[in-house]
Amino acid sequence: MRSASAILRFFRSEPFAVIGGAIYGAIVLVAIFADGLAPYPPKAILRVGARVARYLPMSADHWLGTTSSGRDVLSQLIWGTRAALAVGLTAAVAVVAIGTVLGLLSGYLGGWVDKIITWFADIVLGLPFLPSMLVLASLTRPGTLVVILSVAGLLWPNTARVIRAQVLSLRERAWVEAARVTGCSTGRIMFVHVLPQVLPLAALYGSVAIGWAILAEASASFLGFGDPDTMSWGVMLQEAYANQALSRGAWNWFAPPGAALMAMVLAGFLISRGSEKLLFPKLAEQ
Amino acid sequence: MSMLSVRDLVVTYATRAGPVRAVDGVDLDIPAGSITGLVGESGCGKSTLGRALMGVLPEAGKIAGGQIVFEGADLVALSPTARRAIAWRRLSFIPQTAMNALDPVQRLRAQMLEVLVERGGLGKAEALARASELFHLVGLDPIRLSDYPHQFSGGMRQRASIALALALEPALVIADEPVTALDVIVQRQVLDVMRNLQARLGLAMILVTHDIAVVAYACDRVAVMYAGRIVEAGPVADVLENPLHPYTMGLTHAFPDLYGDDMTLVPIDGTPPSLLHPPAGCRFAARCPFVQPRCADEPPVMTGDHQAACWRVDEAAELRALAATPATWLPK
Amino acid sequence: MTALIDATGLEKIFRSRGRDVAAVADVSLSVGAGEALGIVGESGCGKTTTARMLLRLEDPTAGRIIFDGTDITTLRGAALLKFRAQAQLVFQNPFDALNPRFTIRRALAEPLNNFGVPVSEHAERIDAVLHRVRLTPPAAWLDRRPHELSGGQLQRVVLARALIPGPKLIVADEPVSMLDVSVRAGILNLLREARDALGLAAVYISHDLALIRYVCERTMVMYLGRVVEEGPTKELIAKPAHPYTRALVAAVPVPHVTQDRAQLPIRGSLSDAASVGGCAFRGRCPHAMKICTDQAPPLRSITPTRQVACHLEGAML
Ligand SMILES: Nc1ncnc2c1ncn2[C@@H]1O[C@H](COP(=O)(O)OP(=O)(O)OP(=O)(O)O)[C@@H](O)[C@H]1O
Ligand SMILES: Nc1ncnc2c1ncn2[C@@H]1O[C@H](COP(=O)(O)OP(=O)(O)OP(=O)(O)O)[C@@H](O)[C@H]1O
Ligand code: SF4
Ligand code: SF4
Ligand SMILES: [Mg+2]
Ligand SMILES: [Mg+2]
Repeated sequence: MRSASAILRFFRSEPFAVIGGAIYGAIVLVAIFADGLAPYPPKAILRVGARVARYLPMSADHWLGTTSSGRDVLSQLIWGTRAALAVGLTAAVAVVAIGTVLGLLSGYLGGWVDKIITWFADIVLGLPFLPSMLVLASLTRPGTLVVILSVAGLLWPNTARVIRAQVLSLRERAWVEAARVTGCSTGRIMFVHVLPQVLPLAALYGSVAIGWAILAEASASFLGFGDPDTMSWGVMLQEAYANQALSRGAWNWFAPPGAALMAMVLAGFLISRGSEKLLFPKLAEQ
Repeated sequence: MSMLSVRDLVVTYATRAGPVRAVDGVDLDIPAGSITGLVGESGCGKSTLGRALMGVLPEAGKIAGGQIVFEGADLVALSPTARRAIAWRRLSFIPQTAMNALDPVQRLRAQMLEVLVERGGLGKAEALARASELFHLVGLDPIRLSDYPHQFSGGMRQRASIALALALEPALVIADEPVTALDVIVQRQVLDVMRNLQARLGLAMILVTHDIAVVAYACDRVAVMYAGRIVEAGPVADVLENPLHPYTMGLTHAFPDLYGDDMTLVPIDGTPPSLLHPPAGCRFAARCPFVQPRCADEPPVMTGDHQAACWRVDEAAELRALAATPATWLPK
Repeated sequence: MTALIDATGLEKIFRSRGRDVAAVADVSLSVGAGEALGIVGESGCGKTTTARMLLRLEDPTAGRIIFDGTDITTLRGAALLKFRAQAQLVFQNPFDALNPRFTIRRALAEPLNNFGVPVSEHAERIDAVLHRVRLTPPAAWLDRRPHELSGGQLQRVVLARALIPGPKLIVADEPVSMLDVSVRAGILNLLREARDALGLAAVYISHDLALIRYVCERTMVMYLGRVVEEGPTKELIAKPAHPYTRALVAAVPVPHVTQDRAQLPIRGSLSDAASVGGCAFRGRCPHAMKICTDQAPPLRSITPTRQVACHLEGAML
């Protein structure tokens, strides 16, 4: 894999990855234009005459009906997209930043630095994701920050591993040695010469991490460890669950955020599925 | 009498940018019992020509025209089955990466037996005896038949691939860069093996290389290829001592010599043309110091035993004198 | 003339999978300003490792390197940087020697930045070095990236990058083996010219003795990590002394129809190399004697300018 153009070619040759990319694209657009798209404020308690508009079914006024407290489900879903994406992007950036830097150090420096980072990564990879996050959340004040920190703290090893492998092979390239001969410091070689080569790969892993982060946020919120003031898909699911939407058959309330989450995770999966071909072209040919 | 004559052969590769004419109108005659060197710059189509003769082009490649007449039959016109039958029995191909083409997880004995029994139809005992004989022939101890390829050095692997290629007593062996990756001493030993075999078994060989010293050492005839075409062909002595084509003249001045006077090496400026859109006239025109207006319009053709595709063949002696002065080759 | 670079007793032992591999067992060499030394020998004999030690890209496990009067064997930090500016490398594979993302301008400016050359001088020096390697007019090349250049053009850039810091020593490891025959001559001529014009010391590594003869007056032959013969290139080719050198010279094909096609004076292959003690070449040497098994032959002078490591005496050499 060379560069951004390789990523572009990859999307062209991988129809599944294109679908994944399209889902991400749509979600980003919805998040950006949430103000314009949402028909009602997400937390506004709607009324029909004097009565609170509880459990309205799907209709032209409320495409996805209303919640137990008379809020418009579609508007919540749209605003939830923004919250989801904010959490997802922040966490993904954190994952990529930590994973890339540690992978770079580990792969380029080798020796004891590599041993320590690899050892640490193995431990973190061994931790079960959800329980670890809940432990973290219960130790501190629940909220979005905890979610982001735990996603970053628990998911970086995946990125670090592939970046390390990539750096190991880049390190053997003659132009890396040439940089040494022409007087580049180790830091300069790592961050000016090698880093740009692995960024596209890091970005790919980042896009997968977005899905994970959103799912993690939803799980945390659903279990009550999230930030109750943000309108997210997880909070929606949690409210729906707490108000027995399931037994009331109000699927128009819980299905949409559920489907949105699944779409997000699916998108991440589709992109990562094809990425093997990009990372190990020789393998894919066989 | 030629055992193989190629006429106007065209081989194209389908690529995203369009068909690449890797071999574009090649005429070539291989006399029985001779070693013919095929030389030329990287990418000029040597491997493609060799693979086309053997009928083992990669998926994207196809023969788009011409004839390959081998022992009286046009291979291009034959059905794939009939062609394979001839190719397996009478022709043999040593690919460019032959050293690494041996199966790493099979002992060499098993690899030899596979060819001898399954393709050659020999009995097991007979095949074993033949395998030992072949190893002996290429200068390997038959005891080493029970080794795996990784237990061999590069030169020994190259010998083993030659033994495999000779298994079915082919009439013509096409060896694609059989010595390029080897050290000089090993290269010499492998070339000697090939020369001895040719003399003892009377087979014909096409030896692809880009080193004219290797051609001078091991070959009887040589064909010089440039941008998909053969531009000069003939007996080695004639071509190397009295080249007719300016490209060949250039090559003879571009190589350092182990002995001889302190000459100044002269590069040929520029690079070969793209095979995607090859020029209409002489393909060497853009780099040729002797180019004339008509060279760019019409492709020159070859005739005779020592032949060259150049409009100025008749002036070759004068051009050779000019070519010997470095100033001739300075970039324009 | 005192040598610019003087290495004594270089040794490099690699530890791979618990086994020690002596890539270089014992190599001493010295090269003066304006002089070119060739290193030849078969694949794996330690040529590249020797060159990398000279440039401090690999740390020797034993031995000492004096460069321009200073011991550089264990230099670090700023002192090492100062040495790097004076000792440069020309790579074997031009297609891999330049960062694919860097323009030619950036590739050439980087060493200047690293070695502290004031920015005001950059343009002028880049211009001058591109003229030297005949990439003219420089403006036409500066903004290109490596994938837009042919192999020969790339190797010119690689050479320019090596020359731009104003080194005193240039090491070239198989500088043309990846290039097409028609462009090799151009690079070899540039190397020769640069050395003559700038008075550089040069070390060339190659399998190809004919090529070495074209660029080096003096040649060192290595076998299994040791120097087996050293001397003026032409003498060494005309009258090789060490049995290995004789085989090596005899094996080089020449581009003429009439040439020596006699059986090579060598037996077996590298894998038949003798293991410990004695002469490392004895397993393949047609002249091996009893003493060759018992004692390693030291490198000794046979004429004022030639050295050989072999027990053979007098007319046998
Ligand atoms: N599978 C392929 N698909 C498309 N183009 C190809 C393919 N194989 C070769 N080519 C092109 O065909 C031309 C001839 O290639 P070929 O391998 O025959 O050259 P060659 O003379 O053997 O070169 P070398 O000395 O490097 O082995 C080149 O321009 C090459 O880029
Ligand atoms: N980093 C390394 N780790 C372990 N062994 C090594 C390493 N580098 C080189 N070697 C070994 O050291 C020996 C000498 O290698 P070197 O690359 O110096 O040979 P060379 O003479 O340059 O060969 P070539 O002509 O093939 O380039 C070889 O046996 C090689 O396998
Ligand atoms: S035909 Fe013309 S351009 Fe071509 S080689 Fe001959 S003189 Fe040169
Ligand atoms: S020392 Fe003995 S074995 Fe070694 S090269 Fe000389 S004669 Fe041969
Ligand atoms: Mg080829
Ligand atoms: Mg080497």
